[in-house]
Amino acid sequence: MTQTASISAPADKSRPAGPGPELTPEQRAKQANRRLHKSEHRWALAFVAPPVVGFLLFTVYPVVFAAYASLTSWNGLGPMTFVGLDNYTRLLSDEYFRTSLWNTFFYMIGIPIGLVLAMLLALALNRKIPGRTALRTIYYVPVISSLAAIAIVWQFAYNGDFGLVNQVLSWFGVQGPDWLANTATVKPALILMAIWKGLGYSMLLYLAAIQSVPSSLLEAAALDGANAFQRFRSITLPMVRPVTFFLIVTNIIAGSQIFTEINIMTPTGGPEFSSASIVWYIVRQAFRYQQMGYATAMSIVLGILVFVITVVQFRLNRRNSFSIE
Amino acid sequence: MKKTRLLSLSVCAALAGTLALTACSSGGGATDDGEKKLTFMFRGGPDEKTAYETAIKKFTADTGVKVDMIVTDADQYATKLQAAVAGNKVPDVFYIEQANLQSYVSSGVLADITEEVEASGVDLDNMWEYGVDSYRFDGELQGTPDGALYGLPKDVGPFAFGYNKTMLEANGIPLPDPDKPYTLDEFVQVTKQLTKDTDGDGALDQWGTGLNVQWNLQSLVWSNGGDWVNEDRTEVTVDTPEFAEALQWFADLTNVHGVTPSASEAATLDTYQRWMAGEIAFFPVGPWDVSVYNELDFDYDLIPWPAGETGESATWIGSLGIGVSNTTKLPEDAVKLVTYLSADAAAQQTLVDAGIQVPNLVDMAEEWAAAPDAEPANRKEFLDIVQDYGRAMPAAYTYGAQWYDELWTNIQPVIDGKQTAADYLAETQPKMQSLLDESNATAEQAAAGR
Repeated sequence: MTQTASISAPADKSRPAGPGPELTPEQRAKQANRRLHKSEHRWALAFVAPPVVGFLLFTVYPVVFAAYASLTSWNGLGPMTFVGLDNYTRLLSDEYFRTSLWNTFFYMIGIPIGLVLAMLLALALNRKIPGRTALRTIYYVPVISSLAAIAIVWQFAYNGDFGLVNQVLSWFGVQGPDWLANTATVKPALILMAIWKGLGYSMLLYLAAIQSVPSSLLEAAALDGANAFQRFRSITLPMVRPVTFFLIVTNIIAGSQIFTEINIMTPTGGPEFSSASIVWYIVRQAFRYQQMGYATAMSIVLGILVFVITVVQFRLNRRNSFSIE
Repeated sequence: MKKTRLLSLSVCAALAGTLALTACSSGGGATDDGEKKLTFMFRGGPDEKTAYETAIKKFTADTGVKVDMIVTDADQYATKLQAAVAGNKVPDVFYIEQANLQSYVSSGVLADITEEVEASGVDLDNMWEYGVDSYRFDGELQGTPDGALYGLPKDVGPFAFGYNKTMLEANGIPLPDPDKPYTLDEFVQVTKQLTKDTDGDGALDQWGTGLNVQWNLQSLVWSNGGDWVNEDRTEVTVDTPEFAEALQWFADLTNVHGVTPSASEAATLDTYQRWMAGEIAFFPVGPWDVSVYNELDFDYDLIPWPAGETGESATWIGSLGIGVSNTTKLPEDAVKLVTYLSADAAAQQTLVDAGIQVPNLVDMAEEWAAAPDAEPANRKEFLDIVQDYGRAMPAAYTYGAQWYDELWTNIQPVIDGKQTAADYLAETQPKMQSLLDESNATAEQAAAGR
């Protein structure tokens, strides 16, 4: 039976599908096939059902609910009042929304820096250097540590008077600023911490990718006279491209939701709102000011932005994609 | 076929079961074996948690009602409570902030407990008027003495001013009069004398004071005759000369008189750490600080806040309330728990002994203040604040605090001396006004919807 189906499939395509009372032999075979597999199909549906129902219940429903809530005036406790697009028009004139959006994108400067560092580290730790397992572990420790705990430790480190960072700077005769209380330094300080925190994860992925680059290619290039840098640029780098792409996409999605470290290290959104991220502002509106409807509208805008950025990335990636045959 | 149907049926049943479970499990109530059980959601540090556990154990012993305690961090509390409300799992008894009272009332979450409290025989006259009135709401104004009661105070938090007695004595400065506040000029003179380099390394290591604008400006503005809003809370009045003068004076302490650690440090906790290290002469003291400050290496005591133009000290009193859910299945026991925690003498004694609060009961507080071994010696100042010169925070009785927060968001240039207070306030007043208008409009809508 399966055989018939697979044989008839290409034939189907070549024939213009038109409505006809007469069933072709292929169609008849298909029908018989369907009947035979009815019970299996049911089973398949039963297996598919839990994730689909879960998806409807935990993803589609909340999204639809949020879309509606964003059109209401709602304090998160009582009934909702429909207000149309009021929340969205209010967004346009909300300078804090703009500032927090700008801050959020500013934080993403750390993504390329982090990836370059992670790549360099991965290259270094891919060599047979003594203690490399220990080093790999050490670089990975921040990844598995609790972000809240890390944020508190870095908050101490950034303290203007007693912080580790300024102590180290003072050895070189530099009088460091009060990092988190200064509009000019608070964002770089947070970026630095984010890079440190994410380094191990990117490094690990790069390490795996580098190790899966076929050594035959590298050897062939070496025989052709390519030096180490040329080999890296023309073979390793293109081969780990999917990993780079994955890291960029996931980092941007995660970066647009940056919240915990900001909330812990600068609980008031930083001096003159200079460290507040978009999610931080959403949480503040939702839970401190009980403007749940307005906060939801901001979340929807954020969601759309992230979606658009991700789509653009996939497009770009497809255009530049490249393979070694 | 049969098997399939059975399978899909069981999947559906499982899903429905999960839903039903989440829907049903709200609040406490009588458990299967007829035992009564309340849920109580509150916040606080480890000291507070232990103190409340002790108090509640006794409540259970006395009444036979079990209490499930849900405790959160201070900054997690609002989020968690709101999530509980949204999920229809409102705890029977929970802490409520002054500034959130109105929205919880208008959303029908908080129960009106006026009658139950009256029937319980609690003597409200023996409690701080400020504390009780904070949780009264007449549908329009909160904090008035005739509104319906939506909670009782968990505590009142008079924010007092203190000084490092050891340091003043060592520097030969006459100790301040506990009954007569410094004028602002006197305060500057004294702090100037105390700001110095004690070890001769060329860097200052002792300062007159080190204040945080967000918590200390109120006292200066009020004692200078200014305020955040007009009487009926419809107009933002931060652009008045009295207000500007107070804010300017605050900034000048650092930028002109140089009697505080540098400006950027005021934004961090550093002045708090320096005070505890004995490097700062004058610093605020709240009742919640007492247990920590009593362990410090120096003696300290309380005085009234330095006073501006009016010559009268002023400061704020914080408060947190305990309210009852409108949907509790055990309203009587829930109110009993509230009155127990707020007004029972034994429970209060437990909490006061833990060093985390001033007694809620007036007679008990007076005895507590007059105790010969009181530390700090002048802890009566706390009571004077509650009874006499303390006020509610500017945003305590408005619908939400967004208008109030706006003042702090961009204030740093003033503190750093890069912008004058008057300029900044003129710039900010319209923004605050529009936010206050919004909050008042929301309050009206909410009241109309009830």
